[in-house]
Amino acid sequence: MKIGIVCPYSFDVPGGVQFHVRDLAEHFIAEGHTVSVLAPGDEDGRHPHYLVPCGRAVPVRYNGSVARVNIGPVTATRTSRWLDDGDFDIVHLHEPVTPSVSLLALRATDRPVVATFHTSLLRSRAMQAASPLLQPLIERILGRIAVSEAARSTVTSHLGGDAVVIPNGVRTRFFRDAEARAEWQGAPEAPTLAFLGRIDEPRKGLHVLAEAMTQILAAHPGTRLLVAGPGDVEAARDRLSPAVRAATTFLGLVSEEEKSALLTSVSAYVAPHTGGESFGIVLVEAMAAGAPVVASDLTAFIGVLGTPPAGVVFPVADAGALAEAVVRLLDDGRLSDRLRLAGPRRAAAFDWDTVATQIMAVYETVLHAADSAQADSVWSRFFRGGRST
Amino acid sequence: MSGLAWVVLLVVVLAVGWYLTYSAARLDRLHARAEGALTALDAQLVRRAEATLELANSGELDAASSLILAAAASESLERQTEHLVDGDLLDGVHFGGRESVESDLTAALTTALTPDVVAQVRAAGQIGAADLERIEAAAIRVQLARRFHNNAVTDVRRVREKGVVRLFRLAGHAPLPETVEFDDTVPGVRR
Repeated sequence: MKIGIVCPYSFDVPGGVQFHVRDLAEHFIAEGHTVSVLAPGDEDGRHPHYLVPCGRAVPVRYNGSVARVNIGPVTATRTSRWLDDGDFDIVHLHEPVTPSVSLLALRATDRPVVATFHTSLLRSRAMQAASPLLQPLIERILGRIAVSEAARSTVTSHLGGDAVVIPNGVRTRFFRDAEARAEWQGAPEAPTLAFLGRIDEPRKGLHVLAEAMTQILAAHPGTRLLVAGPGDVEAARDRLSPAVRAATTFLGLVSEEEKSALLTSVSAYVAPHTGGESFGIVLVEAMAAGAPVVASDLTAFIGVLGTPPAGVVFPVADAGALAEAVVRLLDDGRLSDRLRLAGPRRAAAFDWDTVATQIMAVYETVLHAADSAQADSVWSRFFRGGRST
Repeated sequence: MSGLAWVVLLVVVLAVGWYLTYSAARLDRLHARAEGALTALDAQLVRRAEATLELANSGELDAASSLILAAAASESLERQTEHLVDGDLLDGVHFGGRESVESDLTAALTTALTPDVVAQVRAAGQIGAADLERIEAAAIRVQLARRFHNNAVTDVRRVREKGVVRLFRLAGHAPLPETVEFDDTVPGVRR
């Protein structure tokens, strides 16, 4: 099958959507499909062989984070050329209702379109303002996928209709097979906690964990907090109380290998996010690596943890409850062991083998419908000339 | 009337004409999309019923389960055949009130294919295992096709409610499509 995937964000910057597109493309290529990805980027930049850059991206504030997107006539021309050259059987757009190359591709293509919605925060005002413009475009999407129930309910409330939920894929084997590192390894007297994410983005919730640390240290004085993620380390360190500062190590931006080793080593992975998360891929990675998960009770996180939850949850932004949950986990070896077993089992549902099969089923269903629609259109015009076209 | 007034009138007439043509084409595309989606749903339902019938006849299930499955699958296939005969083109494509039959087949599958039975048939590795796989694949696609169809119907109905479409009868004689609602749970899956 010839598949054209459009990613609205540049591969130069790490991000959930980009990783999803990369892994999906590589999975389908390995299965023998022809895949081309259109994404922002420079012609002369370094990028995978299947990626076609559509020009330099500009930073735009969107959905609470800075997103690098690209817009304008040059991008539109390149998008059309990519569609012509690719002659795709199916065009798969990601985040189609952002001001991006995905929207341009949706406008330009005449092929069956599948779209994946990642975000749980569509700008409702922008959506309403642009609705007469967007609505006919959105009607061209034959199959809608949402990566979580949270993303699906956003689609339902903002665009009407429905979407099928197919979760983000994770290379679970990569995390399951990771080896622990002695320096990060937790021990009963010196447990280690991991935090992953931008340290200066409030919705990632480092401040909640920092507040909880005081209480956690009171119960387990040997606890160490390992913080992995980009951002201003000095400023973040200054915000910590002296005791917490002494117990905290900032690792900066870590590689995928380091991340998997960290998650395999620690006594618990803490996800204190306060909102804006539509999925929670790190939770799946942590579960696959066998780290007990302590997470805030965001809808998306609860969905990822499953029923019964393969982790411990606490009320969003409640530092006291977070501290209690962590202390309970550190005190209760049986709970910890149970989560270490339940995690990898739950994570298997998000493995790329499972997820890509489901996405391929969407492609096939949409293609079948599109072929029938084409055949029907000819007949409908012939038999129902009354319809004024 | 002055020359300018004529020009303005001409522009307005052209704009209205363009808008009507555009709306009619959009509506036609939406109707085709809904009908295409229904055809896809129909095809997957046939596959689900055929695979179920094969599993029932494979002799790998107990006699009672086999009978329940065979009855429900035959019912579904029979209705589908009837539908093909009377689904004349003037009437458009419609689901023909088969919801209850398909819900019954889903219920029969859920009853017969408990996780334990599924594991047992899979372990046997006979023809039944292949049938199970086909049933599951078709059942997943039934879910997808039904969602996509209902989305298309929602879009058609929204556009058809617009004043312009109603006033100029842009929908012609095309029947108003309806969403298809039935239980399409995939059998034998622990969730």
